[in-house]
Amino acid sequence: MTLLDPLAIARRSFLHQSAYGLGGMALAMLGRKTSAAAIAPPGDTPLPRPDDWSGSLAQPHFPVKAKRVIFLCMAGGPSQFETFDWKPALKELDGKPFPESFTKGQQLAQLQNAVLKARGSFVGFQKHGQAGIEVSDLFPHLAGQADRLCVIRSMQTEQINHDTAHAFMNTGSIIKGRPSMGSWLLYGLGSASDNLPGFIVLTSSGKNGPQPISARQWSAGVLPSRFQGIMFQSKGDAVHYIGSPPGVCQSTQRQVVEEVARLNGLLGKEQNDPEIATRIAQYEMAFRMQSSVPELTDFSGETQETLDLYGVKEPGDGSFASNCLLARRLAERGVRMIQLYHRAWDHHSNIEPGMQEGAAAVDKPSAALLEDLARRGLLDDTLVLWGGEFGRTPMGQGSGRDHHILSFSVFLAGGGSKPGTTWGTTDELGYRAVDDVVSVHDLHATMLALLGIDHHRLTTKFQGLDVRLTGIAGKVVKGIMA
Amino acid sequence: MANGRDCAARWYAVMGLLPAVLMASMAVASEPVSFNRDIRPIMSDTCFHCHGNDAGTREAGLRLDVREAALGETAGGVVPIVPGDPDSSAIIRRIFDTDDPMPPDSAHKPLSKEQKELFRRWVAEGAIYEPHWAYAPLSRPALPAGFETVHPIDAFIQARLAAKGLEPAPAAPPHVLTRRLALDLTGLPPAAVLPAGDGSLADAALVDALLASPHFGERMAVWWLDIARFADTVGFHGDQNQRIFPYRDYVINAFNTNKRFDDFTREQLAGDLLPNPTPEQLVATGYNRLNMMTREGGAQPKEYLAKYGAERVRSVAAAWFGSTFGCAECHDHKFDPISARDFYELQAFFADVKQWGVYSHYGYTPEPELRGFDNEHPFPPELQVESPWLKKRHDGLQKRLDDEIAATARRLAADPAAQAAQTEWERRVGAFLQSHAEGWLPVTPTETRITKNGEPLPDRVAKVSPSQAVSSGKPLGGGEVIEIVTSLEGIQALSAVRLTADIATVEPDERAAIAGSRLTLALAIHPAEGKPRPVGLLAGEATVRRPVYRSGFEVPGLTSEWRLPFELPEGVSPVATWLTDPVVLAPGERLVATIGGDGKLPVQIALSPLGAAEPALVAAATDRAALAAATARSPEQAARATAAFFLSTAFDRAAFDRVHALAKELDGLFGGRTWTLITEAAANPLAVRVLPRGNWQDESGPVVLPATPGFLPGRIESTAERRLTRLDLANWLVSDVNPITPRAVMNRLWSVFFGTALSAAVDDLGSQGELPSHPQLLDWLACEFRDSGWDIQHMIRLIVTSHTYRQSSMLQPAALAIDPANRLLASQNPRRLEAEFVRDNALAIAGILNLEDIGGPSVKPYQPAGYYEALQFPNRDYMADADERQWRRGVYSHWQRTFLHPMLANFDAPARDECAAARTLSNTPQQALTLLNDPIFVEAARKFAERLLADSSPHDDAGRIRLAYRLALNREPREAEATSLASFLAAQREAFAAAPADAEKLLAVGHAPRPDFDSVEHAAWAQLARVLLNTQEVITRY
Repeated sequence: MTLLDPLAIARRSFLHQSAYGLGGMALAMLGRKTSAAAIAPPGDTPLPRPDDWSGSLAQPHFPVKAKRVIFLCMAGGPSQFETFDWKPALKELDGKPFPESFTKGQQLAQLQNAVLKARGSFVGFQKHGQAGIEVSDLFPHLAGQADRLCVIRSMQTEQINHDTAHAFMNTGSIIKGRPSMGSWLLYGLGSASDNLPGFIVLTSSGKNGPQPISARQWSAGVLPSRFQGIMFQSKGDAVHYIGSPPGVCQSTQRQVVEEVARLNGLLGKEQNDPEIATRIAQYEMAFRMQSSVPELTDFSGETQETLDLYGVKEPGDGSFASNCLLARRLAERGVRMIQLYHRAWDHHSNIEPGMQEGAAAVDKPSAALLEDLARRGLLDDTLVLWGGEFGRTPMGQGSGRDHHILSFSVFLAGGGSKPGTTWGTTDELGYRAVDDVVSVHDLHATMLALLGIDHHRLTTKFQGLDVRLTGIAGKVVKGIMA
Repeated sequence: MANGRDCAARWYAVMGLLPAVLMASMAVASEPVSFNRDIRPIMSDTCFHCHGNDAGTREAGLRLDVREAALGETAGGVVPIVPGDPDSSAIIRRIFDTDDPMPPDSAHKPLSKEQKELFRRWVAEGAIYEPHWAYAPLSRPALPAGFETVHPIDAFIQARLAAKGLEPAPAAPPHVLTRRLALDLTGLPPAAVLPAGDGSLADAALVDALLASPHFGERMAVWWLDIARFADTVGFHGDQNQRIFPYRDYVINAFNTNKRFDDFTREQLAGDLLPNPTPEQLVATGYNRLNMMTREGGAQPKEYLAKYGAERVRSVAAAWFGSTFGCAECHDHKFDPISARDFYELQAFFADVKQWGVYSHYGYTPEPELRGFDNEHPFPPELQVESPWLKKRHDGLQKRLDDEIAATARRLAADPAAQAAQTEWERRVGAFLQSHAEGWLPVTPTETRITKNGEPLPDRVAKVSPSQAVSSGKPLGGGEVIEIVTSLEGIQALSAVRLTADIATVEPDERAAIAGSRLTLALAIHPAEGKPRPVGLLAGEATVRRPVYRSGFEVPGLTSEWRLPFELPEGVSPVATWLTDPVVLAPGERLVATIGGDGKLPVQIALSPLGAAEPALVAAATDRAALAAATARSPEQAARATAAFFLSTAFDRAAFDRVHALAKELDGLFGGRTWTLITEAAANPLAVRVLPRGNWQDESGPVVLPATPGFLPGRIESTAERRLTRLDLANWLVSDVNPITPRAVMNRLWSVFFGTALSAAVDDLGSQGELPSHPQLLDWLACEFRDSGWDIQHMIRLIVTSHTYRQSSMLQPAALAIDPANRLLASQNPRRLEAEFVRDNALAIAGILNLEDIGGPSVKPYQPAGYYEALQFPNRDYMADADERQWRRGVYSHWQRTFLHPMLANFDAPARDECAAARTLSNTPQQALTLLNDPIFVEAARKFAERLLADSSPHDDAGRIRLAYRLALNREPREAEATSLASFLAAQREAFAAAPADAEKLLAVGHAPRPDFDSVEHAAWAQLARVLLNTQEVITRY
């Protein structure tokens, strides 16, 4: 029989041991590499990391292959038929009625009650790399990385509308308050960055087919808010309130922070309240972030060769290319979860220009990120996920394609995923994944496994339930692990 | 055994299965094992998943949550429990079986040795089950022996403390207690909410004063609005605005008027079903409409109605049961006796709440009632009601407008040049009115043509009826317009234009083509020679029209476009009137009216030389009478004539512009009325089925009718003759038979004043939750609440007058040693302020918090630029309020569900997607960054500094620092604090003296005006104010 489950201790202590409820005193006492009491007002000696939540996992459950995740979210749902799922039979059927035997009784989105016609891919596909992975001609740069990719063509999800499908892809549930994947990672593994948030979200968009996204997608849900994703802004300060007020230079800001610490320290002598020490430490962390974030977003140290590799025209311009380069910088700095949204893939109509524009914006930077991570030795322990919240129909919708949940494609790279792999197949028209089907829960379970986590055992108590990322489902897909 | 007990106690403490406070009261050898205290929590965590209420996952046919089942022989021939005989009990054998243990290793829920022994003893002692505490009938416990004469709350708390050999902490010092009371009851510091200088209010009077403050309701509303999931936006996808702020004001008012909680319950769930419901009771039913909604293209109405229905069950259950029903959407609850049927029966109560699954009229799923809806539209059903805040603002503006017109008339009456101009104008207008007594000149078209992109369409001919109404023959297509040319004979100036949709001349079968059509209007004056002059349209209004919306809110009046309603009025021709920028016409000029849109309307055009403050007042009878009475005017008529003169001619352009700016603003207030989401009962409630695995497409489950949950006492069910209503549910919730609502509400209320609830998991009073630290106290409070007439203020007064509440928040080391979470309450708990009060407190200390107004539309605090960039349908522009609304309380902040304001989010305010019964109170670097750098806190510091510098009583730095502490913390600074701040101040003076431009920059933050202080001095004090506003003590109530 095993000893006490450390996870159970952590989560129960969260709930029950604190006069402050979640995130309060319990966090001041638990999971820290150093005790809060050891943190004194700032002086000459370096402070311990204030936010050093070391994670609820005392030990990894499995060998750790990946230490961080970069999720390149192609928001809107790119077509698998113009990316990774080559269907010659569909091409042959182009413009003809779509066989009803495939679609009968299935949920459709905007194509409900419409006459269904097949739409073949408008682009060609070639086999690439030693593994011969089929990639559409719209993505020549990613094709060049074929031997690093683990393409999954047999994805399925449960939600057919953008909002709920994003919720499902990020939290494994459509019930509000479920923590997102990044929050789970921070909760389970802690942050590995001294002076940056452990879960960072970047966004960009194209002209063709953008759809809204929501901060809910990087919410910590029922976990303490310290585990939530921090969205970097494309305008103004990268992080909200990261800049000192106008007229307050770094030195006068430092004086303010030190004086706050001094007064808080004096209060701590009068009032036995563990939050005081934590507060002092958080101000110190905040001040460090004020320096580290500008350094992070300053690309002047990047070579022209690197900028060209990604296709960055104007560093920090909010483009997907610039965000990919920033993602590499974040990975270097130990950020646990880096999520990029590119909102450009909802091609109900005009799929040809839409896919061309989308591919032109993301192909080169996505490939560059893999290449750059590999050059720096980071791809081995960085798990990259590329894909949308769902796929698109093999049936046409005017000049585009509708949402589709029974088949879509994503790829993994690095972080212990199996390189040069194509996993799963769809039926001859690409309507439904038929072999080696991977559900969203399965994908999550596998990603957690690569991070050393048994998805059954990363849980938190909420409303009397053991909540977890994979709900009550999810199986690890060994075949996509190296 | 004593050793065993210690081990067990330590184990529980570590596992947190029971609060630490229960350790010593746990089963000791000398006292019997208690099912609720000792056994149920273990069973719930380790057994019920496979051997509980959910038949779908029950294994081996074995059920342990019901005693009868646990004592009977299973199909496999084993007897799980034989009371009094552990060795014959199968579960005891399996628990101790090392080769094949229960729970199995795969469950990762191993039992400890002590837990196993507890089980064995429990069976040996007879395997006595007890009903779950939260569902058991409610009866008032006696006060603990020996404590009958103290405050009832103290009696229960101190009896437990005494049993542990602990003493309650001494009372907090008066200044601490005053601040605690002010913050807890109003969310404001004492100086902002109590009469100046009146720190001497007797304790009881202090509580009374705070409960009587209108700010009490604002504070308590924050508590309830989380539960009600109140937000300003719909939450899904485009996250459009919804109109619902009157519901928030209803909640504030309910707490301020101490509305009985039973009425509060009935009005929110079923106000529309009460006899002759008042507007207030209808506003309250907005509660049922606060679920998230969608307008996403491709969404299926039926799927989303299922989502809305399920959410409503979760939120109602969380709010009134303190229970989690969520799991039962898909299957019977595993740990609690909640069945899937209970879930859908509760949902069925709300099946009559009228709403649409997808709020648009999409081709793939037509919703004819939502014809014309786009992403700018609101989310009906709604009710128009008066808002006191808007009415006050409206009346104030109306007075300013009237005053502006009167003052201008007086000024012009005293100005000879103006009088001469007025006389000349009156002569011409008098002549016009002679021939056009109503003040309007009907236009006779001299030429009509249909054009596209300026080119005439030769095959299209406009028709002119005998009534001079012009029609396009067939509806105008994209870009097509009718140009109507007319001479301007008989009119020498143009101030207004009128279009009449002459539906009297239209065949009845053509009305359908006209209904709902849009008309656009553009006017130009064409001189005989030279370039045409466009005529500006200042404001328009129509007798009937379809409203135009922008981001969910109605745009007042008409722009250059007029949308006809889908249902045209019978027998009356719709009329639209526009005020034009006044134009003086020259002989030989012609008017070209260009009418576009998508209809084919016959329209008549009329012109007037008369202007007015509003379109509806053009050529008003009183104006015409005043002008006609040229020689015998009353003073009032004289003023009216002068007003008509300058409003028709813009003689005093600046005054004219001011009047129209005020009129436009006034227009936007809709007479002080607003729309708000309400519950409208549909005639035919939706059929509610049990959905297997929650799948909305699976129609194999039975249809259910409303009924209260079977696991609670006093179940009521619908019959074939009578379907139960929401009102029946509400009445049942607040009836004497239902024990769980008063327990749930009192449990949550307790957490407001002590940080942790008596049963800490406020959203789960079920078996996976926590046995209350003081079960009898909770039952006593629940009884008192019910018996007092559901009197919230009474309960709050009771709590805050207890010693338990008033004791010092210095955590007691001796007590913490045996009660680390302070669940025994040997002292108060310090508690960080909630997000809204972090803001309110800082602004109040700074003296800029707007405490004048209660209620009103939500406001827009400063927000980082681009924060709504990822929002679409429609795109959102965020404009921070630049007037007194900027400094309103946090409870009025615009609540955008998908992108909650960063300050609120950083301080743990929930997005309110669903019922949020408890907030976490975290302590993060983002909070530090917010307090340090968010412009509202920088501005607050600047204004706080002004307040210190402007006060004449302190003559020196030390005096001002003392004042700062009194304002911020209601106390004097300690010597070390004063010394430290003094040297900090000196350093800041030095820094800003060296860089005076920096001082100017700092002092320019925020919209609040800046007085003429020495900027270096002001900036140095602003920095000191920033320090204080950032301290832990300021954001914590001790």
